[in-house]
Amino acid sequence: MNDREKEAPVKLELSGLRKSFGGKRKPLPVIGGVSLQVRKGEFVSLIGPSGSGKSTLFHLIGGLLKPDSGEIRLDGRVINGERGHIGYMPQQPALFPWRTIEDNVVLDREVNGAPRRESLEEARRWMERAGLAGFEKAYPHTLSGGMQQRAAFVRSLLSPHELMCLDEPFSALDAFTRSEMQAWLLDIWEETRRSVLFVTHHIEEALLLSDTIYVLSGRPSEAMRRIEVPFPRPRREEITETPEFLSLRRELTNLMKEEQRKSTGMPSARQN
Amino acid sequence: MTRSTLNQWFRSAWPPFVAVLLFLTAWEAAVRFFGIEAWILPSPSVIAQEASSSASSLWMHTLSTLQLTLIGFAIGSTFGLLVACALHLVPLLKSALYPLLILSQNVPTIALAPLLMIWFGFGLLPKIIVITLVCFFPVAVSTMDGFAQTDRTMLNYMRMIGAKRTQIFRKLEFPHALPSMFSGLRIAATYSVMGAVIAEWIGAQKGIGYYMILQKSAFRTDRIFAAIIIIVVLSLLLFLLVTLIERLVVRGGRRGASSEGGESR
Ligand SMILES: Nc1ncnc2c1ncn2[C@@H]1O[C@H](COP(=O)(O)OP(=O)(O)OP(=O)(O)O)[C@@H](O)[C@H]1O
Ligand SMILES: [Mg+2]
Repeated sequence: MNDREKEAPVKLELSGLRKSFGGKRKPLPVIGGVSLQVRKGEFVSLIGPSGSGKSTLFHLIGGLLKPDSGEIRLDGRVINGERGHIGYMPQQPALFPWRTIEDNVVLDREVNGAPRRESLEEARRWMERAGLAGFEKAYPHTLSGGMQQRAAFVRSLLSPHELMCLDEPFSALDAFTRSEMQAWLLDIWEETRRSVLFVTHHIEEALLLSDTIYVLSGRPSEAMRRIEVPFPRPRREEITETPEFLSLRRELTNLMKEEQRKSTGMPSARQN
Repeated sequence: MTRSTLNQWFRSAWPPFVAVLLFLTAWEAAVRFFGIEAWILPSPSVIAQEASSSASSLWMHTLSTLQLTLIGFAIGSTFGLLVACALHLVPLLKSALYPLLILSQNVPTIALAPLLMIWFGFGLLPKIIVITLVCFFPVAVSTMDGFAQTDRTMLNYMRMIGAKRTQIFRKLEFPHALPSMFSGLRIAATYSVMGAVIAEWIGAQKGIGYYMILQKSAFRTDRIFAAIIIIVVLSLLLFLLVTLIERLVVRGGRRGASSEGGESR
């Protein structure tokens, strides 16, 4: 991150967010005090073990759930429990099967009342970038998994809201398609410079794409480590072979292993 | 594309066609071989002959039944659809009425027909009410099931991007419920023909049901068979009509199970 970006205003700020599920009698604390920041134009990743409440965190930011305590601030204003402030890509693509790809992609704009003609023009432009040209009038079930993910990504990209929340967009893809998609996302993001909060399990992916990485602990989760990724932009995939990248990766891997071990309650993998 | 679907249709259509042909042949042969009397079991050829010689009167009765069926089907389905939407959109209404709706499904609607005749006379009205009731339940219940089964991820997505209640209903829940609604409509289509015929049995001056009662007292088994065939054809036609409309209305790869096999090839 260069100096100009360091001074960029804070887009999203979570402070001391807590959330439990289940009744009063036997609450299951899922999020136990998460604080983090996304600056304007910053790519922030969130990695954490499965079940640590990453999707739940997005549901809180999107206003689907209300936090038990803590604040969600967007552009400085508290938005706890308010909906319709973010662009969102859910963990499953969730394209509407009865809508063509083009109509799916403009859904967020349609809901927010943007003029259709403009939206479609914008959609065509980005669909071409996403390798979806020629599929404007196709229905989702005729597309491959990777193409559906890209369509869902374009849908969140076209959202009129600046902040994009992407929930493990590539988790369902095979390794090869995945690395292709990472390169593609890197490209598009460096061009648009939207504020992004990105959830992933994948350490390399986080290091390749992000300006900042937060590591979540196991349930009840808190943001326990904040790592600034030093590689300059524009980035190429080649950085994944540099010693600096490898040492960061090792550090993160160890951190994650420890968390996974703690959250499954096993003293160590070998004693299992 | 069109040729291959035609081919495919042909390939799946000929085995049942041949089966029906064999069945008719066996029937014809059995009647002739055992010398069964026509008032017990007429042969297919006798039925066909009788049908063609009384075609004009059969046609008149068919039209009357068809009209009754269509009116009842239209009113009953519309009513069912509206009630389903209302119950879905007003949760309080749903929690009050849905259990009653499910319970009242156990009342054999057809059994109400004599009662309705007493209340409303022998005109068109009681018959339409019978068919309306018969169509109402499958449409209302399956449409509501469709609403209730709305995909959670899509629903969460719509909420997160700030969609209002009406937008969620129009853009997500309603289109999502369409396949389920159409399976209700298909059931209602077959029920409505049955409802019309039974209503005509109980009291009418025309229609296929009335014609059957008339022929029954004359022991004209051949004519009763002709009437049965007409009823079957009417049901099938209405069923096909609903399926056709479904094809036009439901988009994307999620039509009813009947067409799924065709698309997988
Ligand atoms: N609506 C809910 N009601 C009750 N419990 C819930 C609810 N939503 C999530 N949970 C629980 O919260 C925990 C965290 O779930 P969440 O989906 O947020 O995890 P995650 O970090 O996104 O996991 P993954 O990486 O596997 O997607 C899980 O134990 C889950 O059972
Ligand atoms: Mg998740």
